[in-house]
Amino acid sequence: MTWKPEVEELERRLELVAGMGGEEGIARQHGRNKLTVRERLPLLADPGTFEEFGRLRGEGTYDANGELETFTPQGKVDGMCRVEGRKVVVTAGDFTVRGGSASGSHGGLGEELSASERALEWRLPYVRLIDNAGGSVRSFETLGRTYLPDANSFSHVDVNLLSTVPVVSAVLGAAAGIGALHTSLAHWNVMVDNTQVFPGGPPVVKAALGYEITKEDLGGPQVHVRESGVVDNLAASEEDAFRLIRRFLSYLPSSVDEMAPRGDTSDPVDRREDELLELIPKEPRRVHNARKLIELVVDEGSFFPIAPLYGRSRITGLARINGYPVGVMANDPMFLGGATDVAAGMKAARLMQLCETFHLPLVDLADEPGLMVGLDSEKQGIERAGARLVCITNACRMPWITIVVRRLYGVGGQTHHRATGMFRRYAWPSARWGSMHIAGGASAAYRREIEAAPDPEAKRDEIEARLNRLGSPFRTAEATGQDIIDPRDTRPVLADFVEDAQRVLVRQLGAPLIPYFP
Amino acid sequence: MTTIRSEIPATVWQVKVAPGDKVESGDEIIILESMKMEIPVIAPSSGTISSVLVAPDDRVQEGDALAELDQ
Repeated sequence: MTWKPEVEELERRLELVAGMGGEEGIARQHGRNKLTVRERLPLLADPGTFEEFGRLRGEGTYDANGELETFTPQGKVDGMCRVEGRKVVVTAGDFTVRGGSASGSHGGLGEELSASERALEWRLPYVRLIDNAGGSVRSFETLGRTYLPDANSFSHVDVNLLSTVPVVSAVLGAAAGIGALHTSLAHWNVMVDNTQVFPGGPPVVKAALGYEITKEDLGGPQVHVRESGVVDNLAASEEDAFRLIRRFLSYLPSSVDEMAPRGDTSDPVDRREDELLELIPKEPRRVHNARKLIELVVDEGSFFPIAPLYGRSRITGLARINGYPVGVMANDPMFLGGATDVAAGMKAARLMQLCETFHLPLVDLADEPGLMVGLDSEKQGIERAGARLVCITNACRMPWITIVVRRLYGVGGQTHHRATGMFRRYAWPSARWGSMHIAGGASAAYRREIEAAPDPEAKRDEIEARLNRLGSPFRTAEATGQDIIDPRDTRPVLADFVEDAQRVLVRQLGAPLIPYFP
Repeated sequence: MTTIRSEIPATVWQVKVAPGDKVESGDEIIILESMKMEIPVIAPSSGTISSVLVAPDDRVQEGDALAELDQ
């Protein structure tokens, strides 16, 4: 007696699964310059660590004797693997099987845990490799009926994941229907150059709105990485996307219950860069290089920008200081003069939520002229965006340090401060601040006096000069105790704060007080 | 040949080069103005300016060509 025949059937089924959607589908995938799901997984996983689960799932047909005749695997591959030595759960769409769409049958009695449920229960980071065309009406024919759109029956797990473990989505092909939702139900996402994201593609747009548009114009990186901000980073290739995923995850703990892993500490904490002394131009109209500022103070080579092409007046990202992962943001005066528009405010709020959820200190290099003014900004709803930013800055608890390197004005300036918890603020001697700008403010506050003067322009200049003399940061420091530092001391000051922050962060471990909203 | 483009919507404030000028990588070739701030446009590599496509006070949009550079 032996179980050999059954083991042979197991092997035969696994061979059928390994064949994905068949040679034709694989050739079509390669023809579109895309890798198959089984070529992708080894690029994400540390060598030899991928362990698939639910791999026998699919749809079989049987002959009169009950022997397996044909077998179609499910349109995805689920499993666990290690990324830089740490375990993650992966779910990866397989476009070669029905365009990666689900069969419409899920959640039956006796069904094993899904990948998302396993990530939640195991408290492991969750990585989605998205390549699926969304639901297909063909599934209605197979089922012989339609069904209510009850995807919340499993989306509630994805929502809980966001407040429990790091969630990353990579768009490697089509991301339509629920794929488009899954793109955004994440802490960070990336798309490859030749991919698209949309709830409904060009045929759906044509039917609903009557116009023709290519899938590239409708949901490509030009739209989502630059304009909508739906996708954070653009990858040049699939290999590049996997490299970025590995890097993003390296800054975060495996779950909200753990501290983020400390990295390389070879960059000296007392590194004082002379370049910082000359970084801010004395001429107020000249801009400084905010990206360079970040790179001079964080650990060498550790800065990872998030959404670098969207909301560009605020640079946001992750970095390390003395090996400890931190969130970093800086106003970029090259764009909108560094003002906070709706997009930049969204970026800042998302970074703060990321830091709050995964217990990272926040480093804020402020040069804030204020919330963006103008009709475009009003139409986008800058007031509510400002209110949201004020809410998150006051509701968060993670240790936060602000260095005012130059301007700090108005309500925008207010959002670089928190009145509670471990918050610390330093200023450079180049800093200037106020509840409003002197230039515009003088015209408003002294309007009658200016208009009545024989030479109104000279009068305004005179008033502005008088007010500007009050603008020295040392006058503020006299009254408030505001600490002003030599710009070259910035890195030592940050390193000291981030070290102290670890003791505070340990007490904040566990579920975040504010649920993470994408 | 490299086309140097504006990364932002802005007004051209100063053009610091003319066709035929030799520039080094990192040189300021044009200064834009946006939100009362001067935004320098930098030569991405060394070479010779083959054409300048904008003049002071021109309005430019993100992606508009500003000048062309022969390496």
